[in-house]
Amino acid sequence: PSPRCFLAGGSWASSLLGWARPERWLGSGSLFPLSCIHTSPSLEKMGLWEKKNRIVYPPQLPGEPRRPAEIYHCRREIKYSKDKMWYLAKLIKGMSIDQALAQLEFSDKKGAKVIKEVLLEAQEMAVRKHNVEFKSNLHIAESLTGRGRYTKRIRIHGKGMFGIMKIVRCHYFVKLVEGPPPPPEPPRTGFDQAKEYVQELRNRTIVNTL
Amino acid sequence: ALLLILPPLPYLRGFLQRCWGRLERGVLPGFSGGQSPPWGPALAVQGPAFLPEPVRDKAESNEAPSLLDSILWMAAPKKRRTIEVNRCRRRNPRNLIKVKNNIDVCPECGNLKQKHVLCGYCYAKVKAETRLIRLEIGKKEGGPFNAPTVETVVLYDGEKATEKDEGKRIIERPKKRPSWFVQN
Repeated sequence: PSPRCFLAGGSWASSLLGWARPERWLGSGSLFPLSCIHTSPSLEKMGLWEKKNRIVYPPQLPGEPRRPAEIYHCRREIKYSKDKMWYLAKLIKGMSIDQALAQLEFSDKKGAKVIKEVLLEAQEMAVRKHNVEFKSNLHIAESLTGRGRYTKRIRIHGKGMFGIMKIVRCHYFVKLVEGPPPPPEPPRTGFDQAKEYVQELRNRTIVNTL
Repeated sequence: ALLLILPPLPYLRGFLQRCWGRLERGVLPGFSGGQSPPWGPALAVQGPAFLPEPVRDKAESNEAPSLLDSILWMAAPKKRRTIEVNRCRRRNPRNLIKVKNNIDVCPECGNLKQKHVLCGYCYAKVKAETRLIRLEIGKKEGGPFNAPTVETVVLYDGEKATEKDEGKRIIERPKKRPSWFVQN
């Protein structure tokens, strides 16, 4: 086991480098080299979804169409099942943010309240930091659930029997994109399938000939 | 292998150690003493191990099967349900949440409301005011079972009792009349 596991939170820096005291090396009036280490225990590892907000595109050329703003937001370790949360995520996929908030407000599920808070936070972030002009002009491009950390506990049955139960948590991820929601795809009709079949027949070539 | 997280309670830890000890020795935790019941297979056995007697009286064949026989014919899954089959069941449109089309905007406050339900915000406002009125009534009555047999009238700032409200009980509220509380 790595020695880091028994060193709590912020004390690892001082205990690892206890022999070296940077403040004694430097003269007056210079920056500490280790002042930029972030040693708080709460921010263990920045998740990939949070990092997606940090990408910076190169400036667009004058002729290009405007790239719509994308806002990534998530909430971790929600006390709810990922399968049950998936139904709510599937409900709001592809809706505009106003419609999604309306549907979630009148849903009876526990996860609906959590997702509504996440969407409102993301909307607020969009207006403040991501240069979105109208807070209603957003739609939900992606909405996913993931498995959180499960803890196992004893559940006592009668007659001295016991079972091991899992305390289940999930993560919820959402990506908002500026602009009206894309129109829904028209369902594939028989006519479309027939056309594709005829086109496949026409694409055939005879092998090893001119 | 099972992963057990020992809970911090000491008596539970001792109890669990005893349970595990008994399990390792081959005794069911539910039994006191040294005997253990026969550890049969967990799945239901297909049929009885012995053949039924070929010569039987007609009266015996009409008997209902005993409880022990009926246990052997319990329903049990034959094969593990694959994830594809599970996904087809969980994701088919019958089980997805349906989009509601009965959501409107409340004309009074502008919040969302369902068409057949009162607006939640307006109802909360009314509830708060009603609670304050009931507190005033409680102060006037002074105790339980003191409700008078006459009607009650609520008067706000700057309102006087009219001739119609002669014998009624009057509750004073020291604030402006809310717009939704219409005076008769």
